[in-house]
Amino acid sequence: MNAITLTVNGRRVSAQVEPRTQLADFLREELNLTGTHLGCEQGVCGACTVLIDGKPQRSCIASAAACDGADIRTIEGFDGDVVMGELREAFSANHALQCGFCTPGMLMSSRDIVTRLGACSERTIREELSGNLCRCTGYVGIVNAVHSVACGKTARGGAVAVAPVEAVAEVAPAPSASASPSLALARSVAEGAAAPAGKEGWTALSQRVHIPAPPAQVWPALKDMNLLARCLPGAEVTAFDGKALQGRMVVKFGPIKAAFGGDATVDFDDAAQTGTVSGAGRDSGSGSQVKGEIAFALAPEGEGSALDVTLRYRIAGPLAQFSRGALVQNLVGHLAGVFAGNLSAQLSGAPMAEAPASLSVWQMLKAMLKGWFAGRKS
Amino acid sequence: MSGDAQMSGDAQMSADNPTHPAAKGEGIGARVRRKEDARHLMGRGRFVGDIRMPGLADVAFLRSPVAHARILSVAKPQGHEDVVFAAEDAPGVGAIVTRSTLPTYKLSAYPPLAKDKVRFVGEIVAMAYAPTRAEAEDLCEAVAFDYEELPAIVDCDSGRAAGAALVHEAWGDNLFLQTSFDSGGVDEVARTAPIRVEKRFRTARQCMHPMEGKGVLAYWDFQANQLVVHTSTQVPHMIRTGLSETLNLPQAQIRIAPPDVGGGFGYKCLLQPEEVLVAWLALTLKRPFRWIEDRREHLTAGANAREHEYVITAYADERGKLLALDAEVCVNVGAYSVWPFSACLEAAQAGGNLPGPYIWPQYRCKTYSVATNKPPFAPYRGVARPGVCFAMELTIDAIAAAVGREAADVRMENLVPASAMPYTNITKKYYDSGDYQASLATAREMIALDAVRVRQQTGEVDGRLIGVGFSTYTEQSAHGTKVFASWGTPLVPGYEQATIRLNPDGSADVKAGIHTIGQGLETTLAQVASEILTLPVSKIRVVLGDTAATPFSTGAYASRGIVMAGGAVSKAAEKLAERVRLLAAHLMQCAPEEIRFENGAVEGRNASLTLEEVARAWYLTPEVLPDGVETGGLEVTEGYKPDVDTGLFSYATHAAVVAVDPATGATEILDYVVVEDCGRMVNPMIVEGQAYGGVAQGIGSALFEESTYDAQGQPLASTLIDYLLPGPTELPKVRISHTETLSPFSAHGIKGVGEGGAIAPAGALVNAINDALKGFGATVNEIPATPERVLDAIAAARSAA
Amino acid sequence: MKPAAYDLTLATSLPDAVAALGAHEGAKAVSGGCSLGPMLNLRLARPSLLVDLRRVEALRALKRSDTHLEIGAGWTHGEIEDGVVPDVTAGLMARVAHGIAYRAVRNRGTIGGSLAHADPAADWVSTMAVLDARLVITGAGGTRLSRLGDFMIAAYTTSLADDEILSAVQVPVLSATARAGYHKVCRKTGEFAQAIGAVVLDREAGLARVVCGAIEAPPVVLEATSAALLKGEPVERVADEEVEAALAGHPASFRAMHRAAVARALNEVGA
Repeated sequence: MNAITLTVNGRRVSAQVEPRTQLADFLREELNLTGTHLGCEQGVCGACTVLIDGKPQRSCIASAAACDGADIRTIEGFDGDVVMGELREAFSANHALQCGFCTPGMLMSSRDIVTRLGACSERTIREELSGNLCRCTGYVGIVNAVHSVACGKTARGGAVAVAPVEAVAEVAPAPSASASPSLALARSVAEGAAAPAGKEGWTALSQRVHIPAPPAQVWPALKDMNLLARCLPGAEVTAFDGKALQGRMVVKFGPIKAAFGGDATVDFDDAAQTGTVSGAGRDSGSGSQVKGEIAFALAPEGEGSALDVTLRYRIAGPLAQFSRGALVQNLVGHLAGVFAGNLSAQLSGAPMAEAPASLSVWQMLKAMLKGWFAGRKS
Repeated sequence: MSGDAQMSGDAQMSADNPTHPAAKGEGIGARVRRKEDARHLMGRGRFVGDIRMPGLADVAFLRSPVAHARILSVAKPQGHEDVVFAAEDAPGVGAIVTRSTLPTYKLSAYPPLAKDKVRFVGEIVAMAYAPTRAEAEDLCEAVAFDYEELPAIVDCDSGRAAGAALVHEAWGDNLFLQTSFDSGGVDEVARTAPIRVEKRFRTARQCMHPMEGKGVLAYWDFQANQLVVHTSTQVPHMIRTGLSETLNLPQAQIRIAPPDVGGGFGYKCLLQPEEVLVAWLALTLKRPFRWIEDRREHLTAGANAREHEYVITAYADERGKLLALDAEVCVNVGAYSVWPFSACLEAAQAGGNLPGPYIWPQYRCKTYSVATNKPPFAPYRGVARPGVCFAMELTIDAIAAAVGREAADVRMENLVPASAMPYTNITKKYYDSGDYQASLATAREMIALDAVRVRQQTGEVDGRLIGVGFSTYTEQSAHGTKVFASWGTPLVPGYEQATIRLNPDGSADVKAGIHTIGQGLETTLAQVASEILTLPVSKIRVVLGDTAATPFSTGAYASRGIVMAGGAVSKAAEKLAERVRLLAAHLMQCAPEEIRFENGAVEGRNASLTLEEVARAWYLTPEVLPDGVETGGLEVTEGYKPDVDTGLFSYATHAAVVAVDPATGATEILDYVVVEDCGRMVNPMIVEGQAYGGVAQGIGSALFEESTYDAQGQPLASTLIDYLLPGPTELPKVRISHTETLSPFSAHGIKGVGEGGAIAPAGALVNAINDALKGFGATVNEIPATPERVLDAIAAARSAA
Repeated sequence: MKPAAYDLTLATSLPDAVAALGAHEGAKAVSGGCSLGPMLNLRLARPSLLVDLRRVEALRALKRSDTHLEIGAGWTHGEIEDGVVPDVTAGLMARVAHGIAYRAVRNRGTIGGSLAHADPAADWVSTMAVLDARLVITGAGGTRLSRLGDFMIAAYTTSLADDEILSAVQVPVLSATARAGYHKVCRKTGEFAQAIGAVVLDREAGLARVVCGAIEAPPVVLEATSAALLKGEPVERVADEEVEAALAGHPASFRAMHRAAVARALNEVGA
């Protein structure tokens, strides 16, 4: 619990709040200011818009504890406000509300538009209102209402630029090898008709690793699960008996971090120099589940070896349920490179490149999976 | 704003549809401001989430992460066993089972807490309660759910394939329902018809997105000995029936008291499992509980709509005269049948409505309602008609293209003419009145078709391509007893009832069991009462929905509110007026038939009395009344339904001009017109609001909204960043023209208007997009018509060329 | 949904913030929280501790040298939009800021937070790339400078260590005659970009840079196009080819949108 003191509609309020309590929930549940509505809790719909220190902001994604000391104004705090009064009149006259759920947030943004911009075009009003969703009116009445109130109003005084402090330029960073990142973009593909039985619809990614050592030297090393795990940052083998493997994988993708614990089965074919590691894991936090298989095949290549690695994956649960998963494909490309580099280094006896924190094959796994599921629908 | 709307109404009145009296005061036809507005504008609306109650506990649900699996175990967190519930902990919760008498229909048992199997991502596996939602969610996370995955059925084709995994094992296949219609002559036409057009169309699965999601709060009222349920619903009286069945509790012990409802659109006309479970908790533990749906739940677990596939073969003559339509419709209705509308409504409506406002001499249609591992299907605004209208309107344009004629001309020549009204179409739809061709002609004029054709010749400076498209439809509104009884589902509307009471102070109370969900019934029902009693709307209080205070109603759906409840209020008000006349006649010493209502007063031959004075006599100074007075008093309940059960057909033509950017695939709507006719308008401002809002949702369907799923049935649109709702810059400044062709079968000639706006936009917009793309020979046949689909269509046409 | 439990500390100085981040496993810095907030609510982000930077004065500094303006990471998009932060980029930054999400988000979200989040579709990512800005990174051992291309490793992935904070950006002061182009392909106002083209042309400084962004990866500088632009050669074809090469393997529609975005941004500078 954090102790906070803030001003709400002109009244000083002190409270103990859990850091995870968002401002909207604090206003609604603790202060009974239920005019601030929660429409999405994803920062998109705008129903929760309130004034924080005079500026409209989303109260569903602002921690109440982080608003310590702030001045908050909700729809209930405008009963005597002249501009809000004009807007209320105009909203009713123009049929700018039907169910009324978006209305408080809509009024908050509208008042900001009218006071900040004054008289402005319908196009500007539409743009400025685009952070507030209404499902009933098609915005026709809302836009007309705001337009009618804005007409004749003058904009609040223009923003004053802050004068920068004069300072000596710091030393420029060394130019990078290339101004643009040149990442190997490993692209995952959906398993089509050729998918192994039971793996239909999984995502597969193939990568060829070149190793400057002959297969005879590489194959025994490949069977060392601890070595493989070291190449997969974030992966940890907790038990392995030659067949059954237990492990834990930490997945980090931006602010998203998941820890998958699970079991896997390992199969090697010494004669063919092929093998598979297949298993499943669960992230206890999100309840998401991942299933994966790594199949590899070793073959001679000139003086050295070529290792073909095919990763197949699928994920279920909240971590899979986004349409912007294609982003992750890029991370996959990067991680695949790190993995391949580490593996090559390990198997050829060279020092392993410093691994980025918390990168793992499971990251690739999840990443590729999401990338495929989401990104390539027509 | 009203300047944007053109009133051209009375021009359409004809001898068959007598001219109505001009709107007077605040009665029917007046642009009265809404009674609902004040509280919402002050931030003092009261939605479910706004209700405060001592000891209120928040409920959260653990939902299945997989689409299809056998449940192995649900292990509750240690130390919290008493606040976490799986199916075996709630034996008093019955499955939601929705009957229907349609042949081939199969029953599904929808357990509010999953039993044995889970059948879609988001199905409820366990629930927990705690003082806050956050803590309840913590508890759900601590539940260990173990399952064995089964193959998921995510689309119609795989659901219908031989050997497909079965969503419901006992069925033997995955078909909720198959229907077929055959007028008998399609094959013969096919042999000789000069023009044959084959098309496939798809419409995406969608979520309905009222800005307020579903929500329910329940507690036990010891004084009334009742379970009280404040639920965000369109159908409160039906929810009482449904809860009674699933909880095995007499209806007398259930009160549904719906608060403000933040939009419905069909999503809130179902008995939802969460509603059953929260009510069960309150009933069992005798404490207040609530659940407020969050947006993620709405997007990934709530009921969906719209996912259709069409295979259409149409036959016409060389001029585009329609000869026969041969269609197959598949609807992906998800895992369970919803109560009370069932999983069948969509396909039943699709098969019946596909011919649209056109004369099709021959028609054959098979429909398949396919069970899949996706959320159940709810009747979203327009029900099947946005899909069938899209398919039909693109078919008409395809026929026009095949015969090389202007699509608007072909459309015009095939619409049912006004002279044929009332008209019974090929599927026995009884079109009560209207001039469909006039609506198309007006739309053509307003959108300036000829000017668009000229503009297309000159091309655009910015390289974009201009296109124009039309879409004409009928909206069967307020269909009634016989229509619903033919489906045999739990909901069959009979006579809609309303109560009206004159109070001692001369104000009136109107009570109806239908509910207000944003469509303005608090205002429009008051207007109907005002039309007869001549009281100002401000003196008419409208009480809706509460089962303890209002007569039974099946609720707000199917564009029926103002027709049915309006009719009931009208009838009750007439009856009340008779009673007032009797009293006033005595008080003013004249004959009852000499008395007229004027400005909230009754005028006799030589005197007048305010309604307050009449009411005062009845309630407070009864000594002035004679013996033998009519004892019914000043409170009347009446039932009403239109003269036909077949519905009153509103109609409209939408027309759009778009600019398609061939480089980015982006579509901008440059102009959009609606020429609509919903009979007598009770409040034109509200009619326009319904049209604007419906068009906005239709544009969402046409260009933006899509609930995507992966091959395993994982929903990929779990946020409003993934699922795009159109905002103010994506929607055009819609221009509306009204005509008023009264229905001969309803009180005041009113027809319903709630759904229509959402039906036509996809047809008009995609026809416009395809018109813009005609230079490439490209056509988009799937909605939403995303930039990717537009670019892919162009690319496909180029590679085929 | 409501966030999983976490602790919150309101840092008042950069050293405090860096120390708090270093001392707690799973700690995360937050400023406006416009990207993190939804992920918290969805329980996808589950930090043990949030270190709130909104009270750190140093992140609100503005410093000017002959060549660069250093903008503290805590300035909001709205303040850049409104010109509270002076513009030295031929109007590019104010214009880009205006196009970010919605006003209520711009009033809270910060330039530093957006860059540290490293969403490839975010406007500041492409803008810093086209400006060749220097990102100032503060850690326990002091500050270091990085270019966007080095800072952003992959989608949502940066070179920031767990106890480092992106504390400022240094944007170059463009000449008075410099021109900038920026075109974003978006399905909706305020929505994430589907494609971004960004161009800076400063002939006085001998500078031309063309960037293709929102590619589900860090933005790419189109070197050949940039060179052609500086020379005053036709760029249309070379830009198309360079975008096609950079996005090989992506669907045709994706490539088409990026070609269009780059072409239109180039068009804005008269190329």
